Amino acid sequence: MVPSSAAVPALSPAQLVARAAAEAPDESALLVAGASVGWAELHDRCSQIAGGLVARGIQRFASTVADPQRRIELLIAASAAGVEACGYASGLGVDEVDSLRARFDHETIITDQSGAGVVGVDELLDADPVEPVGEGLAPLLVLTTGTTGLPKGARHDWRRLVANSSRWTSESDSRWLLTYNLNQFAGIQVLLHALCSRATLVVPENNQPRAALAAAVAGGVTHASATPTFWRFLLALIEDDTPVPPLRQITLGGEAVPADLVAKLAARFPDARTSQVYASTEFGTAASTTDTAAGLPLSVLERSDDAVVQFKIVDGELFARSSAGMLGYYGDDGDGVAEWSPTGDLVEIRGDRIHFTGRSVEIINVGGVKIHPLVVEERALAVDDVQFAHAYGRSNPIAGQIVTLDVVVGRDLSDDEEEEIEDKIRDSCSSLPDAAQPRRIRFVPELDVRENKVRRGGSK
Amino acid sequence: MAKAEDTVRKSIRSLLKRRKADVEFGDDADLYEDLGMDSLEVAELSATLEDDLGHDPYSDGQAPRTVAEVLEYYDR
Repeated sequence: MVPSSAAVPALSPAQLVARAAAEAPDESALLVAGASVGWAELHDRCSQIAGGLVARGIQRFASTVADPQRRIELLIAASAAGVEACGYASGLGVDEVDSLRARFDHETIITDQSGAGVVGVDELLDADPVEPVGEGLAPLLVLTTGTTGLPKGARHDWRRLVANSSRWTSESDSRWLLTYNLNQFAGIQVLLHALCSRATLVVPENNQPRAALAAAVAGGVTHASATPTFWRFLLALIEDDTPVPPLRQITLGGEAVPADLVAKLAARFPDARTSQVYASTEFGTAASTTDTAAGLPLSVLERSDDAVVQFKIVDGELFARSSAGMLGYYGDDGDGVAEWSPTGDLVEIRGDRIHFTGRSVEIINVGGVKIHPLVVEERALAVDDVQFAHAYGRSNPIAGQIVTLDVVVGRDLSDDEEEEIEDKIRDSCSSLPDAAQPRRIRFVPELDVRENKVRRGGSK
Repeated sequence: MAKAEDTVRKSIRSLLKRRKADVEFGDDADLYEDLGMDSLEVAELSATLEDDLGHDPYSDGQAPRTVAEVLEYYDR
């Protein structure tokens, strides 16, 4: 991929699709479970869905659509109509959805099937198509884990994201694998890379590495962006005689990248170039390096004032400011990240590298999914026997970190009683996302307490 | 080795039971293909084995596919 210095028009995803439909109507935009969707077909469907949104007067909505093709179409359609889309994670329980709706004032929920109080995405197809709105704010809301445990909504402008993504384009015959969920910023970033390059986006049946590998091989994937956990799992599935996709570009992001993993990927895919991306929901893609060392090069601290993203270090924490990041949080009047803002990453300079040493708030990073300890602790504390609970990240060779829970019940327990309480805790946590499930539960006589606050800090 | 064998099988069984996929499996069962384990379940398995047996193949940089390969690690 080559950074382009040419000025790019500020298009929305819908306009990118319309342009591709005019230039290459029959070329493959999407490969979903092996079935090809051409640019013209994609454009037609997105235009109809956009028409459906406009006809119903929908200004903003949350989507719990599970079908990935429909999810993509809905995002593009929203940008066509100038309507603010927000993806909720799929598989959430009713309580979780209701709580998000209340927090982000989502009156309209769009889901796969019509039902009481929800709009089915297919029913939006019955309207007259509309052409994409040419200019003006194209709003997008991306949810992220906040520092207090409650989710926050990062408000973005599609056009700014497209302009930033357009700086790195790949050849139009490239095939991008989608491994991330589309409710996450990383998933949206991959979608935009594919749209900006007029490349084919290959969408697996589900986002488990096995399905992704099968789709990548069948689809001739050349570009793939995923977390280190995902890549490690993928490598474990590949033996010497396993067919592999013809990768030219491997991108890693979302978690700290272990050095041995980069070497193993290079050995398995000798023709591929490897990049590491430093990005967040707030800042967007902030840095991309093709060297294979850990952390970031010191040179990121010396970027000029007209760079899209700049960095500095304040009291051991990395700060950044970006002209392509979020406009602000939902419900907040602030300036987004246009002025210097904390990244939450603690860093240390060693030689000519900036190394990541921890987080300023104790977010647990499970295979790229950020989990706040309070969310898990609250569920554990809902179990009668549990007096105190402390959730933290424990280093794991497969997932980066897993959620571990120490609980205090205040009395001695038999093995059977321990098992019973463990089951109750797991049950209480069951409606949380998979990544938030406590993987180890320990019964301790007391928590490590200093100054009346449960001691936190880093991974154990 | 007997303790390791028991622990490995018990840990896998416990994960499957939690998923209500309580199945009988032989040593030749592939963790992913046959038992349908996902990355987080395997991550939990590695942590359980590390806690109960002091070490585990994953932390040692290995990537066993079958139950037998996990057991083989402890047979050394």
